[in-house]
Amino acid sequence: MRVEYINPFVESAFNVMKEVLQADVKRGELFLKSTSMPVMGVAAIVGLAGDVEGRVLFDMDKATALRIASAMNGEELKTLDELVKATITELANMITAQAVTKLHELGFRFDLTPPAIFTGDNMEVSNQDVEALIVPMETPHGKVEVNVAIRERA
Amino acid sequence: MSMQAAEAHAVTAQDEKKERADKIDFKMVTFSLGGKEYGIDIMNVKEIAHAGRFTYVPNAAPFVRGVYNLRGDIISIIDLRVMFHLPAERKDDSSLESLLILRIGDHVFGVIVDNIDKVVGVASTSIQPPHPIFGDINVKYIKGIIENRGKLYIILNVEKLFTPDKQDEDVDQRPAASLSSSRSAAPLRYEDAPSPGRASSSSGQADINADFIKETLAGFKKFGFSPINEPWFNARYSAWRKSKKENEIQLRSESDADEFLESFYSACTGSLWSDEYAAAVMKALPPIASRSINVWNPGCGKGYESYSLACMLKEAYPEARIKIWANDSDLLAISMAPNMVFEFEDLPERYREFMVKGRNGWTFAQGIRDSIFFEFHDVLNANPLPPLDLILCRDTLSFLSGHDQKRLLVDFNEKAKDGAALILGVNELMPLDGWVSVGPADVSAYVKASR
Repeated sequence: MRVEYINPFVESAFNVMKEVLQADVKRGELFLKSTSMPVMGVAAIVGLAGDVEGRVLFDMDKATALRIASAMNGEELKTLDELVKATITELANMITAQAVTKLHELGFRFDLTPPAIFTGDNMEVSNQDVEALIVPMETPHGKVEVNVAIRERA
Repeated sequence: MSMQAAEAHAVTAQDEKKERADKIDFKMVTFSLGGKEYGIDIMNVKEIAHAGRFTYVPNAAPFVRGVYNLRGDIISIIDLRVMFHLPAERKDDSSLESLLILRIGDHVFGVIVDNIDKVVGVASTSIQPPHPIFGDINVKYIKGIIENRGKLYIILNVEKLFTPDKQDEDVDQRPAASLSSSRSAAPLRYEDAPSPGRASSSSGQADINADFIKETLAGFKKFGFSPINEPWFNARYSAWRKSKKENEIQLRSESDADEFLESFYSACTGSLWSDEYAAAVMKALPPIASRSINVWNPGCGKGYESYSLACMLKEAYPEARIKIWANDSDLLAISMAPNMVFEFEDLPERYREFMVKGRNGWTFAQGIRDSIFFEFHDVLNANPLPPLDLILCRDTLSFLSGHDQKRLLVDFNEKAKDGAALILGVNELMPLDGWVSVGPADVSAYVKASR
C-alpha cells in the first residue's frame, strides 16, 4: 500500500473514535497481512474506487459493537438491532470519509461506496492478491481493528 | 499487344475479379505494427483518424495512452504496440498518431498503430487458424492468418482483446500465459546447490564454525545463507578466520554480526548514488526500447536508491514514462521516503537539477516524485505488478529465509519481460537459469534471456 495512504487512515480512525466516544483511544502497532483472517463478529465495510481500488473493513466483536453504539447514542443498547448496526455503519462512514477527504487534499482521488455491515459468528475475510494494512485501535469499550486493503489500479 | 490479346486479357481479369468478388465475404482494415502486417475485421472499425495530444490518465495501464475527444465523444486510446510489447517509434506530443476507431459492442476505442494501409477483401474460408508458435502476440488474440497478394496478414480478434468485462482478466492473464512456459524453462538451481551443512570447507571443525556463523547471522540479522550469497560468505568466512583468534571466530552479539556483514552491503547503501556508481549501473543496463519503463524496487529502505534510479533513468530516457514501484516492509524507513528533504550542500552534483527548494529544504521535483510509488508492502505477500523492464533488489534477498528467497526469485522471473534487467546486491548472484550476467564487476546485473 502506498505510504501516502497510511497516515490519513490511521489519523482519521484515531480522531473520529476519540471524538465520538469521548474517551481515550490507543493505537497499536501497524502490520501487514495477506492471508485470510477471522472477523470478530461485526464487520462494517466501505469500498473505495477511483485512482485505486480496495476496501476498508472495521472489525470488532459484538460486545464492543454494542458498547460503542451505546456510547455514541447516549443510551444503553442491549441487542444488536437496527440502531446498533446503523450506528456502527455510520462510524465506518465517518472514519473513511475523513480519510478520503485528507487524501483528496493530498491530490488523490477516491470515491466511497455506501457502507455495508456484516454480523455473524466464525466469519473470515480473505483478499486475494491484496495485502491488508491492519490498524488496531484500543478503546475503553473494546478492540476495533481497521483493516485497509488498497491497491493501485494496474 | 494486339487488340485481341488485350481484350482477352481484360476478360480474364474481369472473370477473375468476378470470381473473387463472389468469394469475398470478409473485409479487413490492414495496418502495420512493429514492421508486421495485421488486419482487423472492418465490421469492428468505425473509422480511421489521425490524432494526437491525448489527455493522459494517471494510473492507467501502461498501454492506455489517454483519452481523446472524438467529436464530442470521449474515447480511450490504447497503444497496441505497448500492449503487445512491440517496438514503437517515439513521437513528440504534438505529432499525430494513426488511429483506428473501433466499435465493440457499445464501446468505442481508439487504437494506435504504426501505419494504416488499406481495406482488403478476402474469402473467410481462406483464413488459416493461428499457429501456437506466433510469438509477439498471444494466440488467443489472433483470429487467424491470411495471405493476400504475397503478404501475410495476422487478423486480430478485437472482441477478445477489448471486451470490457474480460479486459481486466485478460490483462492479468497475458503475463500469466507466458509464465507457465518460463517457469519450466528456468528451473531453480537451488535444488542442485549444496545445502548449508555441506558447504565446501576443509576440516570438520571449520564446518561447524561456519554453520554456527550462518545460524547466528540468521538469528541476529535475518541473513539467509543460500546460493545467492554463498561465494561471498565462503570468502568472507576464510578472511574472518584469518583475522580472528580461535576463540573469537563465533559471533557472540549483534555487533559481531554487523562486523561480519560489513563488507556485504552494496555501494551507496543508505545514500544517493555517486556519479561512479550511477555510471556503472547505467553501463550494466541493456537499452530499454519500451516507451514506458516499469521498475520494481523491493526492499528500497529509506528510498535513496529509488530516487537515484529515477534520476538516472530520467536522464537516460527523457521521453519514456518511468514508473517505479518501491516497497519496503519497514514502516518507519519507508514512511519518510515520499517527502525526503536534503541540504543543498549534501547533494551530489548530478541530483541538483532534479531538485526544487521547498519550505524545509531541497526535495525532488514533482516529476521525479510522481514516477515513484512508495509502498508499505511485504514482498512475500502478493505482488500485483505489470510486466517489468527492470528489477532493482540490492541486498534484500539475502535477508530473507531460503524458502522466501526462492519464492521471490520465481516472482522476479514471472514478472520480468524478456530482456528485462535485474540488479542484485554486489555480493549476490542470480541462481536461476535463463538469466545472463552482464555489466561491470561492481554491479551484479543480469538480463533475462529471450525464449
